[in-house]
Amino acid sequence: MKITVNGREVEVDPSKPLIAACHDNEVDVPNYCYHPGLTPVGSCRICQVEVQEGERPPRVVAACRTPVSEGMIVDTNSEAAHETRRECLEFLLKDHPLDCPICDKAGECTLQDYTYAEGQSSGQSSEPRQNFEKRKSLGDKIVLDQERCILCSRCVRFFEEVTEKPQLTVAGLGSRSRIETFGDRDLTGNYQGNITDLCPVGALTLKNFRFKARVWNLVKKGSTCGECSRGCSVSVEVLRQGEVKRIRPRYNEQVNRWWICDTGRFSSDRANPEGRVPALLRGYSGLEACEVEDALDSVTSAYRAHDGHLLVVSPWVTVEEGEALLELAASLKTEPIFLSPTPSELKDDLLHTGDPCPNRRGLMDLGFIPKSPEEVRELLSTAETATLFGERIVELIGPEPLDELPTSLRLFLFDVSGIDAPAIAVHCGIASWVERGGTWVNIDGHVGRIQATRPAPAGVRQPLSLIEGLLAAQEAVQ
Amino acid sequence: MVIVKRKELTLAERLYIPEVLRGLRITLGKMFQPKSTRQYPEEPIPSTEVTRGQPRLAENEDGTLRCVSCGMCEIACPAYAITIDGHEIDRPIEREPERFEIDFLRCILCGFCEEACPKEAIWMSDELELADTTRKGLIYGIEKLKRPASALQKRIDYVKRINDRWRTFSST
Repeated sequence: MKITVNGREVEVDPSKPLIAACHDNEVDVPNYCYHPGLTPVGSCRICQVEVQEGERPPRVVAACRTPVSEGMIVDTNSEAAHETRRECLEFLLKDHPLDCPICDKAGECTLQDYTYAEGQSSGQSSEPRQNFEKRKSLGDKIVLDQERCILCSRCVRFFEEVTEKPQLTVAGLGSRSRIETFGDRDLTGNYQGNITDLCPVGALTLKNFRFKARVWNLVKKGSTCGECSRGCSVSVEVLRQGEVKRIRPRYNEQVNRWWICDTGRFSSDRANPEGRVPALLRGYSGLEACEVEDALDSVTSAYRAHDGHLLVVSPWVTVEEGEALLELAASLKTEPIFLSPTPSELKDDLLHTGDPCPNRRGLMDLGFIPKSPEEVRELLSTAETATLFGERIVELIGPEPLDELPTSLRLFLFDVSGIDAPAIAVHCGIASWVERGGTWVNIDGHVGRIQATRPAPAGVRQPLSLIEGLLAAQEAVQ
Repeated sequence: MVIVKRKELTLAERLYIPEVLRGLRITLGKMFQPKSTRQYPEEPIPSTEVTRGQPRLAENEDGTLRCVSCGMCEIACPAYAITIDGHEIDRPIEREPERFEIDFLRCILCGFCEEACPKEAIWMSDELELADTTRKGLIYGIEKLKRPASALQKRIDYVKRINDRWRTFSST
């Protein structure tokens, strides 16, 4: 179907509303209540554009509720369209507190953007602003500011349509309408965080991000979530090259669309581990800090002195690191194993697979053999040297079983954060998933790239450089 | 090549004493004239409302900071001297800086922070003196930066007056 948008003839999908046709053709139409992932309701009226169909005179319509028809002539910038938008903004801003200096959404708030664009910052109303609750807690993750809310009902529709468990509603009538949970209960479920991304203003904010950073100070890089084998596309946001402040979904039609689960979203809290060390070597008084080269020398000399090697890699290892680790396994004459823990109870129908292996498919395709933590523990008890490689491997095997291993086993640990188990001879810190680049393959075979968003702490090496160091030493011997 | 010809001294000059007396007359004459040297730092430099000294944070009467850590000054600062981290508080104004640091080794006293502030919280004071034995000592935190608004009143009144004048000009 062909329509004309701002004097340009474009090809559009007849199943989508007019606003989507405009957005697909890179014409900006303001929107608050419209979201491509939800049913349009036309409650905010900001998306009004001037449309001429056939012989009828042009009229202003809400683009989100208007289906496209053949030969439609659309003008998004006409004086009539701007006029209605300005009137609409005046209504939206009537009770909006305009506390932008305090509001977390400032900088990515579309109400702010379109108010600037239209230049409508004052209204004609002489009524005092209505006061609602500014800090209403909706459970342990989200705070609702009813004053800032513009009643777009995106959050209401998200729970109705995406998770299919309605939890929020527009309560009250007329100007006293506000967002509330049913019976003032807390929000539940693993997808609550998405409503804070959906909220076009600062009404719904995350408790763990509230007032922590200004959004324009965050450095955002596209990456892939590692909490399950779905591998949702995310954007990792870092403040001043230091802490990961938040993780947000990134649109990916094939994998996660606009959403991520709260497990992935709040993995931002776990992305800032304390006490990172470049390398530790077992000395007389326990694990002592040393140079990375000395640690690698100690590992390779142990490889030479012993037989019966075991190499277990974490499911967080990327495809690139996996290839290098295959070479290492071949030079050690051991079979390549990756740790494959049992799926957790977090599995749901929407996104979370419950399987904590972001690169399961990638490692399987490379030829790694999955082994459960129990099987790995058995193998550990018979091996002479064991190399545990990759992020979260200690956590996935379980720290207690590692603590019980005999000191006769020479255990080499390459993990982001380690433990002080007696069997550990060497522990090398590695760059975490927000500090290195690479590729993961999700359970359906979609490739997800991870990207370094911040530098690794001083001295902490990239996993690939450590594997290459080990390989070089192995080749020098042979 | 330049040939410098030395000036022949007159008899009076060669006698030496009259020339010494002429010099002493200038010295003694200056002794009774008013001094033009300022005894800094005992005698401070007079400041005016236009003086753009180091930025300071204004406090309300109840001792709370006016700053809501919105980050406008941080982003306006051309020298990247300001670092702010906010946190949530229980007052009706929900946000306050947890850390507000100005690195005076970087600050160029341009006054952009004062202009950018939407909350009338940061003002250029008349304090200009800056010395320390360490670099760390010149990174000022909230405790060193905050001043009662009354101490900055001269500047506040001046800036508001200038802004009002600008507004009347620009609106016509």
